[in-house]
Amino acid sequence: MTQRGAAGTDPPDDYLEAAIQRLLTECTEIAEQGITVTRRDHSVLLCGEVESARRREEILRLVVEHFPEVPVTVDIGLIRTQAPTEVEELR
Amino acid sequence: MVIRIAAVGDVHLDQDVVGRFRPALEQLPESADVLLLAGDLTRHGTESEARCVATEFGDLGVPVVAVLGNHDHHCDEVPAVIRVLEDAGILVLEGTNVVLECAGVRLGIAGAKGFGGGFAGRCASEFGEPEMKAFVRTTSAIADQLGEALREMDCDLRVALTHYAPVPDTLAGEPPEIYPFLGSYLLGQAIDSAPTELALHGHAHAGSERGTTPGGVRVRNVAHPVIKQAYSVFHLHPPYAGATAGKVSAVSAGGSS
Repeated sequence: MTQRGAAGTDPPDDYLEAAIQRLLTECTEIAEQGITVTRRDHSVLLCGEVESARRREEILRLVVEHFPEVPVTVDIGLIRTQAPTEVEELR
Repeated sequence: MVIRIAAVGDVHLDQDVVGRFRPALEQLPESADVLLLAGDLTRHGTESEARCVATEFGDLGVPVVAVLGNHDHHCDEVPAVIRVLEDAGILVLEGTNVVLECAGVRLGIAGAKGFGGGFAGRCASEFGEPEMKAFVRTTSAIADQLGEALREMDCDLRVALTHYAPVPDTLAGEPPEIYPFLGSYLLGQAIDSAPTELALHGHAHAGSERGTTPGGVRVRNVAHPVIKQAYSVFHLHPPYAGATAGKVSAVSAGGSS
């Protein structure tokens, strides 16, 4: 069952994922489209990979700032940037 | 002669990323003849972010050819972004092409950002509201330019470079509901209109690496979150006829060979 925020200003739970997804994309300090937002019981899980540790911290800061009542779990990794060890042969 | 193509997309550079790719890029001239960048080079398309791209991907010792992505358009600073990249020697294609001489082989690269619309059987149509018609017309016009840019080249070997995906194969892993925002079959149709050897794209961070157009052209998603390395390297072996029969793909060790 969906419960609305007591103050009437928080998005209903069913819209929370969409609200966070758009926040991460449309806030130009973040501009991340590759983060998956999943609602789990009483928290949201943020998954994905980003280009720097600073971006991961910014994502968490922004979500906590906008949705202070929502417990957030972050599982965001850094994308590796090593040189390739294999090539693909196309014949 | 084998042509060695390095490629990556969706690097989303800003100050905080500068220097991360450089150690691997320093090795690139030993393993590739050219580097192709498949769009979303910046975080949200500012001139200052483009300078980060220029710092990271400039002066590599091999030609660097790029297309822009949707992120590179966000701040409406596209002309400034292109100027900064081209000042650093990074050629930006948009419905255009370039032919490079690589070890006696004329390598033709045609590029365009591309756009969305979806794939055969599940695609948008040029019908209804002006906004919907404009959406489909945008993709259609870009695809027409890409096809023309591919066909008109006088070269031995054709490679197509886009940001948006030309086939759904390389989107596997993405939610099917967003496929129409990730690419269009019109791009695949354009690629199939010429004897193209390889099509490279980015944009689909949760997609997969390999696919094929209906015409048999190999498609690779080189989005950085997909390849999980600084760049991928593809060895293209002759004959470069764009023929569909008897093609074989294989992975071999020795990225710096």
